[in-house]
Amino acid sequence: MDRRSFLKVSAIWTGGAWIVGVPTLSANPYRELTDSEAEIMDALADAIIPPGEFAGGKDARVTRFIDQQIGRYGYLQHDKELYKTCLPALNKNSRDRFGAVFTELSEDRKEEYLKAIEAGEYNNQPTNSDWGSYTPSSFFNTTRNQCMMGFYGSPIHGGNKDYVSYRMLGLY
Amino acid sequence: MKNKHVNAIVVGSGAGGGVVAKELSYAGLSVVLFERGGWVRYAAHGNDELTAQRSFPLACFFGPDNERYRRVAVDRQGNERIVFPNDWAYHNNAACVGSGTVNYGAMGWRFMEEDFTMKSTYGHVEGSTLEDWPITYADLEPYYEKVEWEIGVAGDDYQNPFAPWRRKPHPMPPFPHNTEAKLLEQAAKKIGYHPFPIPMLRNSEPFDGRPACVHVRNCVGFACPVDAKNGTQNTVIPKAIETGNCELRIHSQVVKILTDSSGRAKGVEYFDRDGQKLTQTADIVILSASATETPRLMLNSATNLYPNGIGNRYDWVGRNLQGHAYCGADGLFEEEIYDDFGPGSSVAVCDFAHNNPGIIGGAMLANEFIKMPYAYSSGYRPPGSARWGREHKEFQKNNYRRNASVRGPVQEMPNFESRVEVAPNVLDHWGMPVAKISGFKLDEDIRTAEFIADKAAKWLEAAGAYKIWKNIPGTGVSGSQHQSGTCRMGNDPQTSVTDKYGRVHEVDNLFIADGSLHVTNGAFNPVLTIMALGYWVSDYIVKEWERGNRFQ
Ligand SMILES: Cc1cc2nc3c(=O)[nH]c(=O)nc-3n(C[C@H](O)[C@H](O)[C@H](O)COP(=O)(O)OP(=O)(O)OC[C@H]3O[C@@H](n4cnc5c(N)ncnc54)[C@H](O)[C@@H]3O)c2cc1C
Repeated sequence: MDRRSFLKVSAIWTGGAWIVGVPTLSANPYRELTDSEAEIMDALADAIIPPGEFAGGKDARVTRFIDQQIGRYGYLQHDKELYKTCLPALNKNSRDRFGAVFTELSEDRKEEYLKAIEAGEYNNQPTNSDWGSYTPSSFFNTTRNQCMMGFYGSPIHGGNKDYVSYRMLGLY
Repeated sequence: MKNKHVNAIVVGSGAGGGVVAKELSYAGLSVVLFERGGWVRYAAHGNDELTAQRSFPLACFFGPDNERYRRVAVDRQGNERIVFPNDWAYHNNAACVGSGTVNYGAMGWRFMEEDFTMKSTYGHVEGSTLEDWPITYADLEPYYEKVEWEIGVAGDDYQNPFAPWRRKPHPMPPFPHNTEAKLLEQAAKKIGYHPFPIPMLRNSEPFDGRPACVHVRNCVGFACPVDAKNGTQNTVIPKAIETGNCELRIHSQVVKILTDSSGRAKGVEYFDRDGQKLTQTADIVILSASATETPRLMLNSATNLYPNGIGNRYDWVGRNLQGHAYCGADGLFEEEIYDDFGPGSSVAVCDFAHNNPGIIGGAMLANEFIKMPYAYSSGYRPPGSARWGREHKEFQKNNYRRNASVRGPVQEMPNFESRVEVAPNVLDHWGMPVAKISGFKLDEDIRTAEFIADKAAKWLEAAGAYKIWKNIPGTGVSGSQHQSGTCRMGNDPQTSVTDKYGRVHEVDNLFIADGSLHVTNGAFNPVLTIMALGYWVSDYIVKEWERGNRFQ
């Protein structure tokens, strides 16, 4: 087999699996996330995997991956509540520090904010009931990992649109 | 419902159980081979990294499922946590016809002579239950040969100066190297290591009616698209069924070994796929359910006669759980060294498997199979690297085709406190107490890992890597894909679970044939040895059976 064998074999198979798409008739193509939650998720996915020469998290449909996986037939149903709680919290809490919601921050500010969350700076703040029973840093760890799954995993799970990550890695 | 009585029950259709089913049915015994999972074919799974058996962040496609299975993991502080099969702390291998042999990397290593005589080679190790096997390499050699010729191994041990002696060569020529492995082969020679092609349970040319490998890269963790990878599911199990003497009963969860008032095994109790509780009786019962599930079954089968579980009079069932203290090094290169020629891992050295001054045991070293895209995004970078953001993405893009890893399965020193127990208050889908796993590695294992990782780093340096970092394992208990040791064989019933033929000391007609038997786990991946033990145990049973022994 030639050097394309890796993908050739996968293409045969995914030919069938693509059919399991999400209906896109309504304006909101998502089943679990609301418009505003999806918008926050898009911004978050782009901060974790920024667009450039190759698509970032948003255009690679990481949000669709998350929506599909936390849904009834997904593998990450147990994280639905986490996203439902923490996405709005993420958006709102940036106001305290930057005077604007997360989705409206510049790229640099988003990075600064997420680094602070990752480092645990927002954990254990008594005024911080928006995060429910979750800690901001553990939410970030979970979603960081799941964004990577959505971007680098097989498109059958809803992300990695057109195998963009595979193309970036020279596998396509 | 009543099942027809048979001569032998084999619990588990993985590496050990598949071999036993074939050998017994060829000898004319009627056999029921139980498997809790079903058949898993390439077409049903394909190339999905997120559910493959290597890193499984979403699920384990080759089983078991997250709905019905769980275990309890105990950390070093003693905290208990319920874990699912796709959590590393579950220590999963697989659950389907063939088990891990469907999706494994298929390295087919013979252990070295020293691997069977660790205690007499290295002496007592503080804190360890290190012991010699009751059998030697010479005892097992003919059975290794059987595995190589019946299941199919491609290799050329004559290129490995440290290989143990053999009477017959491998039946297929070795696998060729890809770009990365060629580079490493040259580098190894430069620094005086002795590189050779890894023996593989995979067809380098058509073998036994199945085709040659087509060199895809998504091999380890996946089924083979052309069936060129040799597991028990496409070799010995179909052959057993063809005899007409073996019934494979899939989606059947065995929950208990039944014994009579004299302590003999009568058969097993199991649930079929519809959730019906059924009984199967037999003259002989062979447990091949893996180093975690075999001891669990024995502990869950306690009776008045066996209050601590079958075969557990001296509290050795479930003890000495081992895997390997995997270690190694990673390196980055200026040039692209990745190519699409799979399966990836093909070059190894055995220079450090034994005879390391001041070190007990050691490991073979080999190049890594592949880092799939998601796996690469979450590891395989220098300590302190960005975990997300622009820098992380750049690292992925720039280095995916410019890195190499060398890894070694460091032979662990078994210890009594690393173990499988049952958790009486955590039940599975069928109402049975689940396995509880606890323990740790000894400092000695970490010391060896540091020594071996250093040798790996030197290898990458010689290959021209401009940045190199080492991987040292944590001190948590091992097990997982290389789980073994929990029902060790031995001559003394007070310090082992079975005799040297895998027969449980207290129960004349109860045998074990899986990784549980290993006294030590070698400096190598374990599967060829588990298969060879399958032939060894079967050979004893068949010889006895033929002289009229019904194990009563
Ligand atoms: C991704 C991957 C890569 C690997 N690569 C290699 C490699 O390159 N080289 C190597 O040497 N090894 C490799 N291994 C490890 C190898 O697969 C195992 O060492 C081997 O399969 C263990 O054999 P076993 O007979 O002890 O148990 P298994 O093969 O796990 O067999 C146990 C079987 O019993 C069944 N079972 C368990 N409990 C019950 C029950 N109660 N009722 C009914 N059935 C039951 C299980 O479903 C399973 O099928 C790899 C494993 C994996 C997952």
